[in-house]
Amino acid sequence: MAERIAIVGVGQTHHKSKRPDVTTAEMIAESVERCLEDAGLQMKDVDHLVGGSFEVADGYHCPDKWIIPELGAVGKAGLELQNVGTTGGVLAVASFNIAATGLFDTVLCYSWQKMDEAAGAFGRGGGGANEYWTGQFPMSPITNFARRTYAYMDRSGCTEEHIAMVRVKQDQCALKNPYAQLRLGLTVEQVMSDVLLAWPIRRLHMCPTTAGAAAFIVCPEERAKKVTDKPVWVEDWFTCHQGGALTMAEDPTSSTLRHACEVVYKRQNIKNPVKEIQAWEVYEPASPAELRWMEEVGICEDYTAWKLFEQDKVGIDKEVPFNPSGGVTATNPIGATPVVRLVEAALQVRGDAGEHQIPGKIERALATGYGGQGENVIMLLRKTL
Amino acid sequence: MTAEQKKEEQPEFIQFRYPREVPYEHALGYQSKFANALKQGRIIATKCPVCGRCTIPPRIVCPFHHVKQTEWVDQGQRGRLISAFKINFPMFNSRTGELQNWENPIIAVELEGGARMDGWCAETDPSKLKTGMLLEAVWRPEEERQGRADDILHWKPVEE
Repeated sequence: MAERIAIVGVGQTHHKSKRPDVTTAEMIAESVERCLEDAGLQMKDVDHLVGGSFEVADGYHCPDKWIIPELGAVGKAGLELQNVGTTGGVLAVASFNIAATGLFDTVLCYSWQKMDEAAGAFGRGGGGANEYWTGQFPMSPITNFARRTYAYMDRSGCTEEHIAMVRVKQDQCALKNPYAQLRLGLTVEQVMSDVLLAWPIRRLHMCPTTAGAAAFIVCPEERAKKVTDKPVWVEDWFTCHQGGALTMAEDPTSSTLRHACEVVYKRQNIKNPVKEIQAWEVYEPASPAELRWMEEVGICEDYTAWKLFEQDKVGIDKEVPFNPSGGVTATNPIGATPVVRLVEAALQVRGDAGEHQIPGKIERALATGYGGQGENVIMLLRKTL
Repeated sequence: MTAEQKKEEQPEFIQFRYPREVPYEHALGYQSKFANALKQGRIIATKCPVCGRCTIPPRIVCPFHHVKQTEWVDQGQRGRLISAFKINFPMFNSRTGELQNWENPIIAVELEGGARMDGWCAETDPSKLKTGMLLEAVWRPEEERQGRADDILHWKPVEE
């Protein structure tokens, strides 16, 4: 029988486009120290570490060999994992699994990306579905979302102005989040006249390149209750990769998010997600992705999410509090991005998100990680058991 | 040492540059039959005996049904447009460093045989591309083909 588990501490860096003042390990240490302080713990209390980044975009191999010593954690159990965009998600899921065995008391998950050191590697997004075939096309996150958005607009009636509204909403949220990287004060007109990368995707629609790190600590129930009086329970989690195989050939607008949510909702008996989940931190690598993801998580019917923006219903203190942190188009340290989602969702459940806190009680929050051609990791948090 | 302390002691931060060139040779395995057909100007796909889906690139088992796909189906030379996008800047293959074809829109085509595949479109004005339009493969001269995606130079719109 698995242990019930809870997040007892979270931490992240102030995300920037460049951090020449620190090494990768020093940057990770900033988030880890904040996380330990948040939990009221010290490194000597941690008995298992799980860490990772999108290695190709860092240029390091097996970095935990030198990062764990620099975190002052030599001799502790540790794993390193990577899975491109969903890296932070698989790190979180591995940490949850380890804590749920009850074999370890205090599991520290650390994640990072320092894209100022090798941002060029970000363009290498083509493999995904099939290394031989899709790798031959000029594919990247930009072109992936150009294709998705072309098909979405073709089917839904959504216009360029609507996707600009999405970007402005994301920016308005980011302006209230001191950890966010891009806090720009955008208007719809500014977004619509920005540099076109691949129609209909403009530069401002894509997630930025970020240097940043994020960490959390997860414990089994008994230990969690001793560490904190505000545990955030991890109710359920699920990974669904294979986005290229499952969806791109069948429907270019879809990811695996719908299927992954259906699995988790069924297990937790969630019938009406928009009522039963009060906070959302869903990994949107491009602003128009937010529209399709809102439909896939069950907030609205297929091809209608853009109408919610037209009716001004999406925002921190509005009907649909989607991505109150500003999301991934504001901040994207790739390997850490899903952990940033989880950290932000946990803060919402605790009521500690500050200026971007969603008003009212947050009983449940859903965080996700996204990668490649439609891969998803679901992390469902809860205030009470 | 915190970042703030370090800043005071070291006014100029140094970044080292590590240029790398790492050649790879990946086996194509079961996909070799497909690559060889491309060299002959033919498009073939594996077919699942359970669901009947034809897949490109071919797979030894159906991704959905975990059964071996032994049947190969000729997909013809024509198909219909499913989706398209056009990049507004030159883009390099980040593994090989070669400049890729970015001037022609990149499209997904549903072939006569039922499989779907990626390609480039001969029509460079994306506003003239309509979902469902009929397209025909235009091949590179036979002696230049290498079993690659760009053995098909582009897909040309066909009047109906």
